[in-house]
Amino acid sequence: MELIEELKTKMIEALNLEEMTPADIDDNAPLFGDEGLGLDSIDVLELIVLLERNYGIKIADPKQGKEIFASVRTMADYVAANRTK
Amino acid sequence: MEPKVIHRVKLTPRSLEVDGKRVAEAVAGESFLTHVYRQRQMDYPKFFKMDVLCKLGFIASEILLETEGAERFVPRADRAVILFNRNSSLNADRTFQRTIADPEEFYPSPSVFVYTLPNIVTGEIAIRNKYHGESNFILLPEKSEEAMNQAVERAFMDGETTSVLTGWLEAVSETEYEAEMKLIMMM
Amino acid sequence: MIVRKIGENIVSPLGFSVEENFTALMSGRSELRRYESLWNLPFPCFVSLIPGAALEAELSKEELTGRCASSTKFEKIALLSASKAIKQSGIDARSGRVVFILSSTKGNVELLADEKTDFDRVTPANTAKMIAHHFGNPNLPVTVSNACISGLCAQIEAFRCLMSRQYDAAVVIGADVLSPFIVAGFQSLKALSDEQCRPFSANRKGLNLGEAAATVVYQVADDNSDGWRMLAGAVRNDANHISGPSRTGEGSYRALLSVLGSSKLTVSDLACLNVHGTSTLYNDEMESIAINRAGLNAVPVNAMKGYYGHTLGAAGVLETLLTMRAVEEGKIPATRGFDELGVTNPVLVSSESFDTQK
Repeated sequence: MELIEELKTKMIEALNLEEMTPADIDDNAPLFGDEGLGLDSIDVLELIVLLERNYGIKIADPKQGKEIFASVRTMADYVAANRTK
Repeated sequence: MEPKVIHRVKLTPRSLEVDGKRVAEAVAGESFLTHVYRQRQMDYPKFFKMDVLCKLGFIASEILLETEGAERFVPRADRAVILFNRNSSLNADRTFQRTIADPEEFYPSPSVFVYTLPNIVTGEIAIRNKYHGESNFILLPEKSEEAMNQAVERAFMDGETTSVLTGWLEAVSETEYEAEMKLIMMM
Repeated sequence: MIVRKIGENIVSPLGFSVEENFTALMSGRSELRRYESLWNLPFPCFVSLIPGAALEAELSKEELTGRCASSTKFEKIALLSASKAIKQSGIDARSGRVVFILSSTKGNVELLADEKTDFDRVTPANTAKMIAHHFGNPNLPVTVSNACISGLCAQIEAFRCLMSRQYDAAVVIGADVLSPFIVAGFQSLKALSDEQCRPFSANRKGLNLGEAAATVVYQVADDNSDGWRMLAGAVRNDANHISGPSRTGEGSYRALLSVLGSSKLTVSDLACLNVHGTSTLYNDEMESIAINRAGLNAVPVNAMKGYYGHTLGAAGVLETLLTMRAVEEGKIPATRGFDELGVTNPVLVSSESFDTQK
């Protein structure tokens, strides 16, 4: 799925995941917490900006982000269903 | 008892000096800070998220504290982190300003904004080393050893502080920076 | 030997002296307003701004109009506040025994909006130098830039400067102004509420921002001098996260313990705790935990962000002065904006102002 690869590339850039390549990110691995990517609250906010900027999606409540940003796959599903650009 | 300098580190875009000895020099191509990070095998992925001021302070402090070994990461409150510069967080400020400058492309970046305070670097060092003691960032109109020494003397006055990680830490751009940091102990 | 307060001033949307501000505070006034698109920002915000015309009138009264002809708002409010407080204190600011300490988080950062700006002028260290120079002071001024706690750290620096006899008097100025930079930054962190902020309340949604400058002058004095004296101060770190507070209120708890220990005060000595109370979900929760861990849950708590918003580098000085003034009158001010307690640990938030005997 192209969107998943695109999101991984954009995430690596936006979150400065310097030592990672898209291949290192599992589609289904959790993005937060000790397993998976270990992203933090600032990363969530930056991902919200990423979705708005690239796909015209506005998320007002960061709490909503928990489900959307569970994994790259859930993110891609959300983008596919809600994108305006 | 009087304050004694235990170690010193000087880091500029050209070279790294530890206790007065030059231990690394800039190489073409790669940022010198990243070069030192990799050369010394520092395993701390958060490094890549930091702004240049934090990267500089992080590397300088890692090298200053190298000799402390495993004891280093035991939580403590008797060590203060007091850093100084003139231009505050100017590089992060300019980077953030670029994210809001164009009304058509107005996407203020939260991960840049968090670095628009100079004291964030003292926080990064405290988090890395589990320091619950005093931390402070002081701006001076010019690099003055006397003013810095006075502030370090004051830090020892709270009855709990027995050592201070301190020094000048200025980074006005990705390629113009200077760290002159030292670890001072009361002994 | 003690350190006592000998001069003070507040410049804010509620007035240009401590007295005007205190009167406004006790009558429940605030200049926090909702703006739909302040400075053309693409979102509404709820902030408190110092009106330009009133500021110019005050500068004129203080005979600073000419001096400030090409000054920024930040430079103007800092200089105005310092000038009034120094006058009141009676100190000779030209003396080498006096030190200037500025507290600011972002100073003149708005100048960066102009690409051709002089970068040298952006740092608050430059403003501090300009102020010290204005008063003919020969010493290198110290600027504390330690985020939200800057105003308190600056007073602690002053305390130590005087107790160690590095200096005999210290002029501590806290100041910050708002700009698209600051408002957009806090908005990007989703930390702002577009309504009145509600410290410690169940339905709090975030903070409001505000502008202010506040100055306090401290001096070394004999043990038996009267007036307000500073007993102790402590700065401690969460060592948790660069933008989120510790879940155990670690830094705040440790600072409270340290201050209680070195001041030798007990719970029964305390009239009130003036807290940060920004009205963000995490800050107020963290403070309630720290207060309880320090055994201070029986002490009345008051927060002032509902009157002024978060005034950044000014907050620590501004709120110290107003708390002193209130206790002098035997009052604990109401926590404006507070409704129903919404933190997990019990704290005695002052919903209405009330009398204290302490």
